[in-house]
Amino acid sequence: MSLKDFKNGLIDENPTFVQLIGMCPTLAVTTSSMSGLSMGLATTAVLIGSNLVISLLRKFIPDKIRIPAFVVIIATFVTLIQMFMNAFVPALYASLGLYIPLIVVNCIILARAEAFASKYGPVRSMADGLGMGLGFTAALTILASIRELLGAGSIFGISVLGSAYKPALLMILPPGAFLALGILIGFKNWITRKKAMNN
Amino acid sequence: MREIIKLGLILFIITFVAAALLGFANEVTSDLIAQVQEQENNKARQEILPSAESFEPLDESEFNTIVSENDKVIEVYIGKDSNNELVGYTVKTRASGYGGDIDIITGISVEGNITGMKVVSHSETPGLGANAQKPEFQNQFVGKSTSSKITVVKTVPKDNEIQAISGATITSNAVSNGVNMAIDVFNKLVK
Repeated sequence: MSLKDFKNGLIDENPTFVQLIGMCPTLAVTTSSMSGLSMGLATTAVLIGSNLVISLLRKFIPDKIRIPAFVVIIATFVTLIQMFMNAFVPALYASLGLYIPLIVVNCIILARAEAFASKYGPVRSMADGLGMGLGFTAALTILASIRELLGAGSIFGISVLGSAYKPALLMILPPGAFLALGILIGFKNWITRKKAMNN
Repeated sequence: MREIIKLGLILFIITFVAAALLGFANEVTSDLIAQVQEQENNKARQEILPSAESFEPLDESEFNTIVSENDKVIEVYIGKDSNNELVGYTVKTRASGYGGDIDIITGISVEGNITGMKVVSHSETPGLGANAQKPEFQNQFVGKSTSSKITVVKTVPKDNEIQAISGATITSNAVSNGVNMAIDVFNKLVK
């Protein structure tokens, strides 16, 4: 069961390519592979934690006030992580610090709390958090790598296309985010359709 | 009516626990965070003024006179070597760039040469203005004299000139403005 929940988030219901949620960080931070990967992993950590806590508290929280309760829990979680990271692993905080407050407003977290963690047990909820988180991470890293490759000629800061390549700056500017994301979603749909036809 | 009270109470419990947790975490981490930040800042100062061993903030009344003349000056530190001799200053200034404020810290030795500069924070366009954080651009300032202002050119730079980042003239100008403000502060301090 848990394995299926995990795969569901990673591929079948990938938050970025299929559900199209969490678009704000997706478009904003994917200017380089490293920031895409970092944002994805930080979100994954929060998602696993918040899914676990909300799943454990699901019987205690009445339906009518679930949204404010979830928001408080998620925000507390993120703030705690931010404080402890800043104090105990400053190097990691220096590279991720910027993205952590952004996670609070990432609707993937609230969406999974609402759609999954408030209905299922802690183990399955954590599996769902891990799957959705890694699905988000994979999507962000792919998108960011394409943008960095075309826009700066490198991937993870390592020059790939050489100095003769004149970077298409547009790709790391905001319009590039929309272009690359649109093409990627189109590509994903094309594969899904082809698969369905073959069946 | 009874339901509202019940819901309010549950929400209160949740927020209460959250607040208690956060308060506790803040208690544990705030000193550590301040320490870490102080270390980071010292490291940044050390990088742009390598001859200094220790740093201390400029005397408050002196600093206030500087700020009253130019409120874009954010902090001024005095750098001293191991014999407690003054070797230079680091000045943090805020310039307005293309995308917002750019914070720059500049190190200037007592001899009147720029020993280093660093763009600490900015919100410039990635790939264009954001290149101001690259060493190739920042190192251009090293060794420049404080006897005259730094100007930005698009050709090969001479004495007190630096070459603009291609496609980001506004950012380049803003950064050199920031450095020029630091030069002003320095010239007032040594007078």
